[in-house]
Amino acid sequence: MAEAFPGVVLGADRLSKAYGPVQANRDISLLLGSGEIHAVVGENGAGKSTLMRMLQGMEQPDSGSVILDGAPVRLSGPAEAMARGIGMVHQEFMLAPDLSLLQNLVLGAEPLKPGPLRRVDWVSARREGVALADRIGVVVDWDCPSAAAPVHIQQFTEIIRLLRRGAKILILDEPTAVLAPPQVEELFTLLRRLRAEGASILFISHKIPEVTALADRVSVIRRGQVVFSAAMADTSGDEIAGHIVGDHSAPVAAPKPAPGSITPHTVLAMEAVSTSAATRALRDVSLHVSAGEIVGLAGVAGNGQGELAEVLAGLHRVNTGRITLNDKDITAQDNATRRGAGIGYISADRRHEGLCLPATIATNTMTGSHRAPPVASGWRLRPRALAKAAEARLQALQVRYGRLSDPVSSLSGGNQQKLVFAREIAPKPDFLIVSQPTRGVDLNGIAAIHSLLRDFRNQGGAALLVSEELDEIMALSDRILVMAEGRIVGEVPKGASAQEIGRMMIMGGHHG
Amino acid sequence: MADVRFGKLAESVVSLALPFVVAALVAGVLLLAIGENPLAIFGLMAEESFGSARRIASTLSAATPLLFTATATAICFRSGVFNVGVEGAFLTGGLAAIFVGYAAPASLGVVLIPLAMLAGAVVGAIWLWFPGWLLARWQVDEVVSTLMLNFIAAALTGYLINGPMLSPASGNNVTPPIHDAAELVRLMPPSTLHAGFLIGLLVLTLYGLWCRYTPAGFEAALVGLNRRFSRAMGISVGGTVIAVMVLSGVIAGLGGASHGLGQLYRFSDGFSPGYGFTGMAVALLGRNNPLGMLIGAVFFGALASAGTTIQLFSNIPLDLVDIIQGLVMIFAVMQIALPRLRKGAAHV
Repeated sequence: MAEAFPGVVLGADRLSKAYGPVQANRDISLLLGSGEIHAVVGENGAGKSTLMRMLQGMEQPDSGSVILDGAPVRLSGPAEAMARGIGMVHQEFMLAPDLSLLQNLVLGAEPLKPGPLRRVDWVSARREGVALADRIGVVVDWDCPSAAAPVHIQQFTEIIRLLRRGAKILILDEPTAVLAPPQVEELFTLLRRLRAEGASILFISHKIPEVTALADRVSVIRRGQVVFSAAMADTSGDEIAGHIVGDHSAPVAAPKPAPGSITPHTVLAMEAVSTSAATRALRDVSLHVSAGEIVGLAGVAGNGQGELAEVLAGLHRVNTGRITLNDKDITAQDNATRRGAGIGYISADRRHEGLCLPATIATNTMTGSHRAPPVASGWRLRPRALAKAAEARLQALQVRYGRLSDPVSSLSGGNQQKLVFAREIAPKPDFLIVSQPTRGVDLNGIAAIHSLLRDFRNQGGAALLVSEELDEIMALSDRILVMAEGRIVGEVPKGASAQEIGRMMIMGGHHG
Repeated sequence: MADVRFGKLAESVVSLALPFVVAALVAGVLLLAIGENPLAIFGLMAEESFGSARRIASTLSAATPLLFTATATAICFRSGVFNVGVEGAFLTGGLAAIFVGYAAPASLGVVLIPLAMLAGAVVGAIWLWFPGWLLARWQVDEVVSTLMLNFIAAALTGYLINGPMLSPASGNNVTPPIHDAAELVRLMPPSTLHAGFLIGLLVLTLYGLWCRYTPAGFEAALVGLNRRFSRAMGISVGGTVIAVMVLSGVIAGLGGASHGLGQLYRFSDGFSPGYGFTGMAVALLGRNNPLGMLIGAVFFGALASAGTTIQLFSNIPLDLVDIIQGLVMIFAVMQIALPRLRKGAAHV
């Protein structure tokens, strides 16, 4: 058979995939050579996971094809991918916590003793495990229950399991996210050793220093497209960072209210807030947001921004520190009390927290205001008044819907999010927590949501904007704070470029 | 718009009727297998349960406890709390009411009735508050805790009626009878249909109003659909869980009280032949909807009342009625999974 892609062990040839209106991948081409470590980098939501799912056969592309050993193939799923030598280590480990590492190693493909009883041959299982661990230069205590093993050992066990099943191509999804620096070193040594033996590795990451240290080749995915691809020798960490955050020609300055129309007093303040020592999601965070101001919080996903939003909403406990709203201490208040005191919350997880998908449009629009007039009077809830109030709220924000009694899941992503804004803004909160407001929203919806936020600000509202889209943060924010590893690592100086912000996001944690 | 509504109605009628139809088919095959004519038997059963005023009364009488236990179950299921402990609250509440009914001074007269009902409601409420609190505070699985409490309820009532509450006039396993004044009025003597049926209808109606016209009912439905959303909206999920458990206990306790004061007048072994569990089937069958549950309760009431007389007139063993009941329950539970597969139906 003629090889259309000579020398390519695994690749994507113009792969495209859309989920409804969201184009997750667009014409992605990416080639992995034999004995090569190829880093795929990009922000969360850029489309990396969709690409990996297609390379595993978990999703079928809308167009384009997956290349295996030089020729296009159609993979039916992870089982076939594995049979053909493609193994993936997921971010969340796929180990049974109560079984020993040895049991996990052979789970699903146990070596059997001869005879009709199909007894597991533990002696040969152990021999195999020890030999493989030796080969890649690690030491594994095979009898340790996997939940009790150190994280990097769990990860090594996953890799060894894939090797044992004959994987020659490894896909590692952010393998360093859970590791401490010395463990990262150990992992890299192992990966280099595998490369020397001829294995090919697709390494997903958004940590630039790791990519430059390990990869032979790097591809940057942004908004579903490969925007940059180069041999590591021909590029630099700065250049990669630039491509990750993108080219920002959009105006940074947003239309502002006339000076003097709003008295700039502090609406919300956090003083030295930390979450529990066990999670350490937030460390010593201090910030303040004033009336008539949007403060943007930039950072690589998973550096504590999500927890910060939940802490402010009252959904996540604080260990130490103080939170005030209009100079009143709200640290100990629960979420309901804070809502009453004037905090609105746009959840990052619209489908599961921002909305109740099976419930009606009317219910979703009015929940939270359902105990106050006009919806309720005393013990009574008035469904008609609820419908009327919902209609007014939705009309004010021009949400397009069929009937109020339709399930909210019938709306488009953009209209769903506008409904959430309608609900959260209607009680006139002083402070709005806005987390990933345009995730899964099409371009028109994005514009509408941005103008809603600006209006809120211009009418004297205070907002904290958390987003993985740096464009969005730069377009909307009056001030930008950068977060890394649970800390605020700094405020972006006026007039800083996206590249500079990108560097603070990515390097900040290491320098700080 | 009208046709869409009609479509929805037709769809819900079909999905409501389906378990009955399937169960009838399976029962028909069973009857054929033992050499009986299914149509004749079904006809006889219909005749026996609805053929005259007296028979209808006995069907409604059999449906009475189910009105309570179904509502008690639905109020929890609707909030995503899988309370299977209605049986236990029915027993303990029933015994509490009976105790007041015979131990309080007879001179209280008709005041005995509200007093005994109150005792049933309070004991039922406490009985189910406990697993509700365990669930809300400590995440103790409610299926396990309420199921275990059923065994405790059976053992506890069994002990009490053999010990401290044993009737001095009887050998064992029964309390003294309640005072005459504590008895609920019979609606259609000589049938056993009693005022408890009306109380059951009232409870069912109040439940329907609570669901639709109170903020608490609104919140309970949201908690059942999406706890994370509810929490983010400031709804107390734990508080709602405890509230629906307590309400469930109140309703189940009232059910036990009505059964005791209206039907049996005393508490003996076999006070409840599994009303809590049949009520669960009725709630599933009726989709927690008041009207659906009324129909379901009457249907199971009919099966029960026809079943006892049917073996007098045919060779059909009483067990067959139990089998039909079981089949309907299985298909009812199957049905509940269907709408979740289907998109497009809004619930609140």
